[in-house]
Amino acid sequence: MPVSPRHSGSLAARFPVARRPRGDRWVTWVVTAAAVLVLACLAVIPLFLAGSLLIRDTGAPDWSRLGLLAMDGLRATVCAMLVALPLGFAAAGVNGLAARRLRGVLRGLFELFGAVPTVVLGLIAVAALAPWLARHVASLLAVQVAIPAVLMAAGFAFGVSERGARWRVAWMAPLVVALAAAGLMLADRTDVILIRPGSPWNAILVGFALGLAAVPVVFSIADDALAQVPGSRVDAALALGATRWQAFATIAVPAAAPGLAAAAMLGFSRCFGETMIVLMASGNTLVGGFDPTRGLRAPGAELALGMPDASVRGADWHDLLLAALLLFVVAVAIHLAADVLRGRLRRRGEARQ
Amino acid sequence: MTLRRRLDGGAVWAVTGLASLCLAAILGVCGYVLVRGLGAFWPAPVVELSLRDGSVHLGEVVAWDDGFLVLRESETERVGAHYRRVARGDIAREARPDDAVSLQGADGRRLFVRGGEDPAPAVVVESLRPNVLSTLDRVGVTLARAARFVTGGATGSPWVGGMFPAIAGTLLLVMLMALFVVPLGTATAAFLHLRKGRAARLVRGAVATLASVPSIVYGVIGLGLFVHGLGRALDQWFHAAQQPVPVFGSGGLLWAALTLALLTLPVFVTSVDQGLSRLPRSLEAGSLALGATREQTLRMLLLPAAWPAMLTGLMLAVARACGAVAPLMLVGVVELAPALPLDGEFPYLHPSRQFMHLGHAVYDAAMANPDPFRGVSRAFAAAALLLAVVLVLNFVAMVLRDRLRERYRALDD
Repeated sequence: MPVSPRHSGSLAARFPVARRPRGDRWVTWVVTAAAVLVLACLAVIPLFLAGSLLIRDTGAPDWSRLGLLAMDGLRATVCAMLVALPLGFAAAGVNGLAARRLRGVLRGLFELFGAVPTVVLGLIAVAALAPWLARHVASLLAVQVAIPAVLMAAGFAFGVSERGARWRVAWMAPLVVALAAAGLMLADRTDVILIRPGSPWNAILVGFALGLAAVPVVFSIADDALAQVPGSRVDAALALGATRWQAFATIAVPAAAPGLAAAAMLGFSRCFGETMIVLMASGNTLVGGFDPTRGLRAPGAELALGMPDASVRGADWHDLLLAALLLFVVAVAIHLAADVLRGRLRRRGEARQ
Repeated sequence: MTLRRRLDGGAVWAVTGLASLCLAAILGVCGYVLVRGLGAFWPAPVVELSLRDGSVHLGEVVAWDDGFLVLRESETERVGAHYRRVARGDIAREARPDDAVSLQGADGRRLFVRGGEDPAPAVVVESLRPNVLSTLDRVGVTLARAARFVTGGATGSPWVGGMFPAIAGTLLLVMLMALFVVPLGTATAAFLHLRKGRAARLVRGAVATLASVPSIVYGVIGLGLFVHGLGRALDQWFHAAQQPVPVFGSGGLLWAALTLALLTLPVFVTSVDQGLSRLPRSLEAGSLALGATREQTLRMLLLPAAWPAMLTGLMLAVARACGAVAPLMLVGVVELAPALPLDGEFPYLHPSRQFMHLGHAVYDAAMANPDPFRGVSRAFAAAALLLAVVLVLNFVAMVLRDRLRERYRALDD
C-alpha cells in the first residue's frame, strides 16, 4: 500500500531523524559538563595536595614525622590484614562452594556489613573490646591459632562427604562459635598473662576492628574473581573425578589468582586510609617501629585531629596536606594496580570461555 | 579413606570454620550494638549493699568484673560525682528492696531513695520503682526512654537531652547533599550511557578512582578548598563588613554537604550506570526505531525507566553520608550547635551554620563525655540508631535493585 505523502510528511515532522533537534542539544551540553566536572574533581585533589609541596614557604617538610605516620599506618594495616584476609578469603571460598540460595544470602549479608559505619566498629573496639583484650591478648592469639588447627584435625579425622556439603556453613557456624566461646572462657579461667600490651589501645585491637571493616571489601572482590572462573572448567574437573574441593583448590583458585590478589590489595588500601577506627581505638600516639602491642597514630587520625587546629598555610598545615597526599597516592596507586589485575582476569576469562 | 581425601577434609573444615567465624563476628557486631543500644534504656535494678564496715549504700551497678563492682549512688551534688568502687569481698549483704525509688532529675542527676524518704529537691522527669516492675513495664519504660532520646532536644549538658538536633542536622545535610549529587550524578551516568568508547572509559575510571580515595582526604579538600578557599572569598565579597568574623569562611552545613556530595558521587553514579545498563536493549532500540534521538530516548524513556536505580543510588549515598564522620569533623560538625540550621528566621535555611550529626554524636559521646559510664551508654544508643538507619536504607536499596533486575529479565531473554 502506498503511503500518502501527507502522512509520511507529518511523521517526519514529528520524529525528525536526519537532523538533531535543537531542543536536544542542552542534554548533550549538560551531560558533557557533568563528565568534565567529575574529571576535574579527580584532577583537583592531587593538584591541591601536591601544590602545598611546591608553594610552601615555611621551610622543609617534616619528613621524619611523615615517615613515622606511614609506618604506624602500615603497622595497623598489617595487623588488620592478618584478620581480614583469612576471614574474607574463607568466606569467599565457602560462597564458591555453597548452595545457590545460601550464596545470595551470604553476598547480601556481606554487602550490608560493608555499609556499617566505621564509627560503630570503632565504638565497639574502644568500649567493649579494648578492656577485655588488654588482659587476654595471649589467650585470644592462642584460640585464634587453635581454632583452625582443631578444625583441620576434625576434618582430617572425619573427612568430607559430598552429600550435604553445600549447606555445611549453615550448621558449622554455631559449632565453631561455641568452640571459640568455650576456648575463650577456658582461657579466662586460667588467666594467663603472657603478653602484656604496653597500652590498652594497641595495634592488635586496631587490627581486629579494622580487619572486620575490610572483610566485606576482600570478600566481594574475591567472590567476583571466583565467580568469573568459567564453570565449564570446574565441571570438567568434577567429571574427571575430582571432589568439589579439589576442583575448587586446583582449578578455580589458580584461575582467579589475579582477582584474589586484587582483593587483598584493595583490602589493604581500605585499611590504610581508614580514619574513625584508628582515631578511636589506637590511642593516637606516634610510636613507629613494629611492635603490635603498642599504640599508634595513623595518617588518617593525624589529619582528623590536626587539621581543624592547624593555622592555614602554616608549616603544620602543609605537613598535613602532605599526609593527605600520601593517603591519596597510596589509595589511587593500589586501585589502579588492582584494576589492571582484574582487567587481566576478565580478559582471560572471556578468552577461555 | 585415602590420605588425600583426609587432607582435603582438613582444608574444607578449616575454610568453612573460618567463614562461620566471620559470619558470627558480623552478626555479633550488629547484634551487640543493637542490644547495648536498647540496653542503655533498660531500667536497672536498685541494689542496697551492706558493707562489712557497717555502711549501707543504695544505688545501681554500672560496671562489674570478678573482683569489683562500680555502684552509682544518689547524685546529690552533680552528675558523675558519686561512683563508688566496691570490692566484692567487702559486701556483707546485697538486697533489692521493693520500696526503692529511682528518680531522674531534669539536670541528668539520678537519685535513689527508699520509699518513705523525701525525694531530693530537684525537678524530676522520671520516677519509678525498678525492683517491682514487671518485664512488660520494663519494656514500656525502655521504649519511653528511647523515644525521649530520639525526639529530645540538646540541652548543653552532655548527659541530658536527646538526639533530635543530631538527627535533624543529618537529615538537612543529606538533603542538601542530594541536591548536588542527584543532578550531577544522573548527568554523569547519562554521559557514560551516551558516549561509548574512550571518553566513557575515562570517566568511568575516574569515578571508580574517586570511590577508592579515603574519606578523610575529601574532608581535607573540603576544608582547604571549600572552607578556606571558596568560603573566604565569599566572605570578602559579601560579608566584608563583618570581617574578620567568618560567615562562610568556617565550617558549615553547605561545605559539609558539598564535601559529602563529592564523597558519595561515585556511589550514586555507579548505581545509576548499572541501572541504565540493565535496561533491555530492546527498549532503547524500539525508541530509536520510532525515530527518537538518543538524547530523547535517554531523557524520556531510559532515565524514567531506571528510577529504581536512582533511588537505590540515593539511598546508598545517604547511608554513606550518615556514616561518614571523619570528613565532617573537618568541615563544620560540632558536639553542640547553638541553633538548628533550619528555623523560622529569614532565610529559614542557614547554610553557613555549624550543625550536629548522628555519627559524630557517637564519636563524641564515646570519646569526650566527662562521665564514661553515661558516655558509653549514650554512644551505644546513638550507634544503634545510626546502625538501624544505615542497615534499613541499604536493605531497601538492595531489594529495589533486585526488583529492577527481575523486572527486565523477562524482556532480556
